[in-house]
Amino acid sequence: MLTRSLIIAIVCATIGSAQAQTECVDFWKSAPRAADARFAVNGQSRAASVQVGVPTELNIIIYKGQDYRVSVVYDEKILGKEVAIRIIEKVRGPKKPANGKEVSVKGQGKPEIEDVEKVIWDNQEHEMANEVEFTATSTKRIAIEVMAPGPENPKDGKRGRVPQDIGCLGILIEHMPTPAIGF
Amino acid sequence: MQRRPIVIALAALLAACSAPDNKEAGSGDTLVIGGEDASDYAENYYQMPTPNELFQIVRTMSNDGQKQMMSPAKNVERYATSAKKALNFGVYATDLVYASNYKITSEVVRYYITCKKLGDELGLAGSFSDKDFMRLERNLTHGDSLDVISNEAYERAYRRMQDERMGPTLALVLAGGWIESMHLVTRQVLHVDAEDPLVMRVAEQKVSLDLLVDLMEQYKDDPQVGNMRQELLKLRDIYDTFPVIRTEQAKASASGRQVLGEDVVVVITAQGFKELAAAVEALRDDIITPEDIIKPAQS
Repeated sequence: MLTRSLIIAIVCATIGSAQAQTECVDFWKSAPRAADARFAVNGQSRAASVQVGVPTELNIIIYKGQDYRVSVVYDEKILGKEVAIRIIEKVRGPKKPANGKEVSVKGQGKPEIEDVEKVIWDNQEHEMANEVEFTATSTKRIAIEVMAPGPENPKDGKRGRVPQDIGCLGILIEHMPTPAIGF
Repeated sequence: MQRRPIVIALAALLAACSAPDNKEAGSGDTLVIGGEDASDYAENYYQMPTPNELFQIVRTMSNDGQKQMMSPAKNVERYATSAKKALNFGVYATDLVYASNYKITSEVVRYYITCKKLGDELGLAGSFSDKDFMRLERNLTHGDSLDVISNEAYERAYRRMQDERMGPTLALVLAGGWIESMHLVTRQVLHVDAEDPLVMRVAEQKVSLDLLVDLMEQYKDDPQVGNMRQELLKLRDIYDTFPVIRTEQAKASASGRQVLGEDVVVVITAQGFKELAAAVEALRDDIITPEDIIKPAQS
């Protein structure tokens, strides 16, 4: 009897977990599209189930000569009314010291490599905006980092239960060749 | 008495199902959002751009597409192992997108069928559907629709592998696709000039290789993924010898939109390009060589 209950519980838990993931798969499609119809949906758009308080990064490539629009949608009931969004540029290259000369790995001609990460946009400096449009003047690897604080007054918490802290988050990426304006 | 361990196991199981287990969440009463070190313990996801994006850009700066540069479709029957199938699915899917972009219409149908066959064998039935095949046939004379249809099929297969958690397969498909894209672009370069936009695009692919290598890391314990990742790391070593110049963004964007961060230029020399292109060709040859061909032993 107990074994049967255990098997049922395992099956339910597995189905529940898989269902939670499946529910989020297309969540990025619920993000409002750009007003500018020239923007096309980019294949790097993605959704995931994210946990309150755990930063989630979507690593993508942006190409030189393209304009991009990044917008974020999320389950406000679980993840909170506003989420923190940052765009981080990740550059890998030979290490350069202050004197400007490249540093080699000792005993080899191979240059010493460093990964430089730099925050290039932070929505906390833009009234917690959920979207940003920009032009890529270089091909870059960027990470869109999102961190959800959770709701201010979790309802479940009031009833003495542990509030649900995993919700769906979608990142819609749109792009178009940088259009020229003016004469 | 017997119930207690089962109840504890059940509680542990349900707790384990509720959240990722390997991340340090912002514990304590105060949650610092997006702090300086937030990305150190972030949950990471990786998305590779579709080959369509690259081809749409390089199409404007290169010559006509050439079908002889594509991997021979007739070899599709000659890949037996799942790893080879996955790698070559990536190769063929990239060729399909290439043929569609460069309007090599005679090859589009052939490569669609090839992708469908290999996709079905990899458990991706439906990604390259009969319905889309008919759509493709109807649109053969409308070149602009071909790349849209092909790209949609590519994206469906990509998302299917993600949704069904076929991580190692996806990693190999992406690796095959990346190598094929590089092969198709580098072969368009007839004279190596560091200022040539096409050569610069090849240099820029350093960032997509970087992303791919990181994406593959989570599956590196899979022997096939591990081996391919090692091969890609050798290519990254070549890229690592190219200087990276970062400069403050001086110009305004042509569209009036904001520009984020600095300008980043990967400097490639003629010698560096040749070394990279040769390494790409060698790896591609290895990937597309049918498994029924016995390679001569290396002395």
